[in-house]
Amino acid sequence: MSARIITKTALRQKLHEFGLQKFPNKQLARMAAVAAPAMSDFEIQHKQPLVKKTTSIPIALYGGRNAVTMLPGGGIGPELMVYVKEIFKYSGAPVDFELIEIDPKSDESNDLEYAITSIKRNGVAIKGNIETKSESTIVQSRNVAIRNELDLYVNVLHCHSYPHVKARQSNIDILIIRQNTEGEYAMLEHESVSGVVESMKVVTKSNSERVCRFAFEFARKNNRKKVTTIHKANIMKLSDGLFLETSRTVAKEYPEIEHNDMIIDNCCMQLVSNPHQFDVMIMTNLYGTIVSNVVCGLVGGAGLLSGRNYGDHYAIFEPGTRNTGTAIAGKNIANPIAMINASIDMLDHLGHKQHSRIISEAVRKTVCKDKLHTPDLGGTATSTEVVQRIIDHILQADLRAW
Amino acid sequence: MSLISRNVFRFLQQGSVNLAARNYQSTAANLGERPDTRVHCTLIPGDGVGPELVYAVQEVFKAIGAPVDFEPYFLSEVNPSLSVPLEKVAASINKNRVCLKGILATPDYSNTGEAQTLNMKLRHALDLYANVVHVKSLPGINSRHTNVDCVIIREQTEGEYSALEHETVKGVVECLKIVTAKKSERIAKFAFDYATKHKRKKVTAVHKANIMKLGDGLFLRSCEEIAKLYPKIEFDKMIVDNCTMQMVSKPEQFDVMVTPNLYGNIVDNLGSGLVGGAGVVAGASYSSKCVVFEPGARHTFSEAVGKNLANPTAMFLCGANLLHHVNLSTYSEMIKDAVNTVLKEGKIRTKDVGGQSSTKEFTFAVINKLEESRL
Repeated sequence: MSARIITKTALRQKLHEFGLQKFPNKQLARMAAVAAPAMSDFEIQHKQPLVKKTTSIPIALYGGRNAVTMLPGGGIGPELMVYVKEIFKYSGAPVDFELIEIDPKSDESNDLEYAITSIKRNGVAIKGNIETKSESTIVQSRNVAIRNELDLYVNVLHCHSYPHVKARQSNIDILIIRQNTEGEYAMLEHESVSGVVESMKVVTKSNSERVCRFAFEFARKNNRKKVTTIHKANIMKLSDGLFLETSRTVAKEYPEIEHNDMIIDNCCMQLVSNPHQFDVMIMTNLYGTIVSNVVCGLVGGAGLLSGRNYGDHYAIFEPGTRNTGTAIAGKNIANPIAMINASIDMLDHLGHKQHSRIISEAVRKTVCKDKLHTPDLGGTATSTEVVQRIIDHILQADLRAW
Repeated sequence: MSLISRNVFRFLQQGSVNLAARNYQSTAANLGERPDTRVHCTLIPGDGVGPELVYAVQEVFKAIGAPVDFEPYFLSEVNPSLSVPLEKVAASINKNRVCLKGILATPDYSNTGEAQTLNMKLRHALDLYANVVHVKSLPGINSRHTNVDCVIIREQTEGEYSALEHETVKGVVECLKIVTAKKSERIAKFAFDYATKHKRKKVTAVHKANIMKLGDGLFLRSCEEIAKLYPKIEFDKMIVDNCTMQMVSKPEQFDVMVTPNLYGNIVDNLGSGLVGGAGVVAGASYSSKCVVFEPGARHTFSEAVGKNLANPTAMFLCGANLLHHVNLSTYSEMIKDAVNTVLKEGKIRTKDVGGQSSTKEFTFAVINKLEESRL
């Protein structure tokens, strides 16, 4: 299309040169403007992540080894990444990490841009929580920026209890699926009159539908029976109403899966009193972060569970609750299980099922059988002791060297 | 403050690694012996001196105790009656994901009228699209340049090697050169990812787009597109004729080179010649799923068959790269060190690099070095 416009313009220009046709300059300029933004598929994919993509970049898989971006983030992130690397080394997981450090103190976004480019190249990333120290309004939260830029519209948190870990509730098995890019995190705030600040909550039909469809597909694939939509549509009748309505529409296409809905305040109460009624839960952004922290607290704290962020083309794996843990950094008491679980999810996603199975088995044995727990779970073991035991279990397992 | 916390952390980190090593020693006894886990690897000895060299590699692996089991398949185009069918070999490589391969001889004429050689068929069967040759000066080998260190990455499934030739009119033969955006982008991304992984600074695209404006032009544009994704790596382009001249006069300026099929083949051989010939340069062919490790310059050296003359250095380095790829980097380092020491000492050298020793003597020298380093 654009090519045709160019040739047409060129032709007219030539005619103009020969003096055969009067050609107004203005029109020429407009036509050039139409022709200029002709972008290649690559640019469309990378510069406008919300545009539906037609081609994807070849994935970074060479000779059976995947390249994966590693963003350690702040706080305990760097130490946990060292443990992940150690474990990958001993289990022979065929993954090469591309380490990218982001300086939390600077307001510059160069590092962040480079990190996003790197994830686009590799397609997959494992990340700790990246701090945004600056409170200046022009500096975007880096976590949110990454999710928005890569269009990672859904966050999946599989909350399940570990036997022999002291927790308020046992035998919990809940999948929390959360809209990850809009809602209250749209970051549109303004002070219209002095002393009056408005914050916008954006809910779109297309994004709600993507999340709901993802949730039902996920439920079907994992043989789940029930999906619950969490909302506050009694107050926010339009925004949450749209989300609820969309989820009901999508639910009709999956008759074998039971669907109900629950208001967020009631949901929090039900979660702490009777969590076993929940199976798969879908919700908007802010409710998602609250509910996932509630459930993580129920099964043993921030150090156990891992979360997954999916978009159409990229995936990021991280600990389930997004805490930096700056207070316990460098003390060798941080619980490494969450990050290791994230790395297991990553191996699963990349298709290295054998390695993910061996590592998760080793984690299970360490936590449930040997009962080697870090202080946050009421144990006395150090991080390195836990990692060491996991490596020992991996070395016992019967696996090929890679 | 940040400096202190960083140093404390580094200390802890080192501590944890040391601790890891010690703890493993202590708890291993409680938890029982580690099961014996071995890597399976397909082995294609190839033609010419291939079988002798492959035997030397096996000897070295045996001496070092590397946990690798070889599955040998004799594949040959010049010896079709002895050759195993290609499908069987491809299936084995697909299963094992790694392969060690000598060089397959290709006759200049075709008996069957088929334009594709066995090498090309194997590449297509496994989609081995990227050939990586690391041209690096070795110690103790006299050559014109002493500090060459460049990586040549070559697309090897399309371009001039498409085996599409026909004689339209008697006396007029057309040979098609195919360039596709998809494969050009794939090889460009491979080159840049390779550069990222190995901490290289620069990628040079070699082309002839001033003459083949569409074909090589597409290749060049694809490389430029991909280069935008790698702001930290310098991107450069060079016309192939200039490139060959620069290679022989100032090879230090090159870091990673990405080339279409035929130019890659030429530059590979040129590079190998710079650092000591076909016997000392290792290479590998990658698909997304598997790797075939083979010498960098493809010569069968069939004049020397059975004469115990060929230089096994390239094959040893291939073997070392293979071990590194399958997470056995300790063994890999040991072999590389041993080969380098033997070459550096210079007492035992094969004929091609100016010595008088035989293949076997060189192999035994390497094995002796390995044994010394073990003690």
